[in-house]
Amino acid sequence: MTQVTLSGLTKIFDQKSPPAVDNLDLEIESGKLTALLGPSGCGKTTTMKMIAGLLRPTAGDILFDGDSILSIKPEERGAVMVFQNYLLFPYMNIADNIGFGLKMRKVNKKEIRSRVQDMLDLVQLPGFEDRKPNQLSGGQQQRIALARALIVQPNVLLLDEPLSNLDAHLRDEMRVLIRRIQTEMGITTVFVTHDQEEAVVLADKVALLFDGRLQQFDAPDSFYDTPNTVDIATFFGGTNFIPGYYLDGTITTDIGVFDAPNSLVPEGDAVLSIRPEAVDLGEGGENSVSGTVLSHVYAGRYARFQIRIGDIEIEAVTEPGQVKLFADGDNIPVKFDPDKIWVLGPNTAEQPAATTG
Amino acid sequence: MNRFRLSERGAERLSISVLLAPAVAVIVLLFLGGLASGFLRSLNYFPLIGLNDFNFDAYFAIFTDNGFLQSLVLTFHIAFTSTLIASILAVASALLLRPAFRGKRIVHFFFSLNLTIPHLVGAIGVLYLFQNSGLVSRIMTGLDIIQRPADFPAMVFDPWAIGIIIQYVWKEIPFIGVIVLAILLSVGEDYESVARSLGANRWQAFRQVTLPLIMPGVVSASVIVFAFTFGAFEIPYLLGRTFPAALPVLAYQSYTDVDLAARPQAMAMAMVIAFISTLLIMAYMKLSRVYIRE
Repeated sequence: MTQVTLSGLTKIFDQKSPPAVDNLDLEIESGKLTALLGPSGCGKTTTMKMIAGLLRPTAGDILFDGDSILSIKPEERGAVMVFQNYLLFPYMNIADNIGFGLKMRKVNKKEIRSRVQDMLDLVQLPGFEDRKPNQLSGGQQQRIALARALIVQPNVLLLDEPLSNLDAHLRDEMRVLIRRIQTEMGITTVFVTHDQEEAVVLADKVALLFDGRLQQFDAPDSFYDTPNTVDIATFFGGTNFIPGYYLDGTITTDIGVFDAPNSLVPEGDAVLSIRPEAVDLGEGGENSVSGTVLSHVYAGRYARFQIRIGDIEIEAVTEPGQVKLFADGDNIPVKFDPDKIWVLGPNTAEQPAATTG
Repeated sequence: MNRFRLSERGAERLSISVLLAPAVAVIVLLFLGGLASGFLRSLNYFPLIGLNDFNFDAYFAIFTDNGFLQSLVLTFHIAFTSTLIASILAVASALLLRPAFRGKRIVHFFFSLNLTIPHLVGAIGVLYLFQNSGLVSRIMTGLDIIQRPADFPAMVFDPWAIGIIIQYVWKEIPFIGVIVLAILLSVGEDYESVARSLGANRWQAFRQVTLPLIMPGVVSASVIVFAFTFGAFEIPYLLGRTFPAALPVLAYQSYTDVDLAARPQAMAMAMVIAFISTLLIMAYMKLSRVYIRE
């Protein structure tokens, strides 16, 4: 088990364009599954390649268990990367592909053969030894690529978009497989993804990157409940934003004044965010305002409402039982649960990327 | 309905045949016709000069002739050695030219420049540089590395065909190199990255991963080079010894011999060259097909 520390890690490919990775500090916990999340081109894969030693950082350091590994060659780092497009060696059969790393380490043939068997069992593809990569489906190739990495017992396993080339069904299967193997073997694992749901479902902790900069490094639920910035909340989606002015646990907006006891921002212009699930329709009292139902969609287990409050439109998601109670055009009280209001700073760029947890 | 479709297909086939006719005629008349008449003459059938009896005398004569066998060995030596050296150096240069670096385009331009220079010019260059009174010899004399220009080891008109090989290597490195470079760039560096990440050192990654991936391209380029150097006339004619001479030179000598009886032998030699080249191309096609199937 290896703890990976990134310290001021920076990669500049071209002096004329902004850094691909910009002064990244990250503490990747030993034996945990960490996601590097972000839109494409945000520097996730570049970061991963630097950890693997396939790219040299422009500045900063990478430490394994406290020791810098920058001077260690990629083949000696024990940080194995599994590429998005699998890259099985096309002219080798599956057994030779999986055994490649052991062959490079001059392990004897008999041991390689038996460990290849173990790996094929682990990824649930026994009997595939003699096939060629092009005879396998994408999902099977993905598993072989994983087996080829795991056989060398890496200190750090780096997975580049491990699920993005798979269809929905295989993705679930692969997700379970990765989680199971990772837990069983306890390998420090970093995976790159652009899909926030994938990150949240699979990872112990998520590092969100925009434009090569760390935005937030947290447990998955924090990105929904307590995002650092409007951009982060927007990336995770589905939240209502209402601009206002924050002072001492209260935010004053165009549509009313709301208690927001959990918020941490300083006094000043701010944005109230509340998730559609936390909007209670038909309830009056504290933290409530009056709104008009614009439209609604009944979706089986829940109903989704568009509500107009003053000049602002918000979305609310409710329990099915309440669908009957409101028709389009109804005027109803709308309550924002104070515990679930989260206030964000006004300007995302100036907010420091706090790392909590 | 069915019949109509068939006749439509038949018409299509006919029109394709008609369209192809000119090209086919050129191939049949010039190439196959030439080959056939050469073959007949090699079998001692050449009515124009009074040879009317089919026999294998010419083949028998050349294969029992020590000079011919020496020429065959020499020709193999030239083709094999120059192809091997050119292939190795071409792969090495392609690897050097692959990464992005400042001035890459200029280096690339100079690398492929001599693709445009005719073989003859290259041969004269080799002559000027490497004969006993050549530039290299005189520079070495000037630097007191050798006493007199005559001490310079024979590199043209020499028994090992060094001059010929130098010329071929010089000319063919960019030919193979440009092909290999294109393959290297299309294969990308990710396979190597995977190998490195799995524990292969630089050499292992090259030997176990990159080389097998580019090998089909290297083989196809070098088969072309081999077939060319095996059958080419002008370079061994200009830079080689008169005895033993390379096969194409020997064939030409026999053909232009005052003794008309040597003509069938010249044709037999040409047939042998054509036969070996054909064998090579077939072997190459078979090999590459096996590789693609994998």
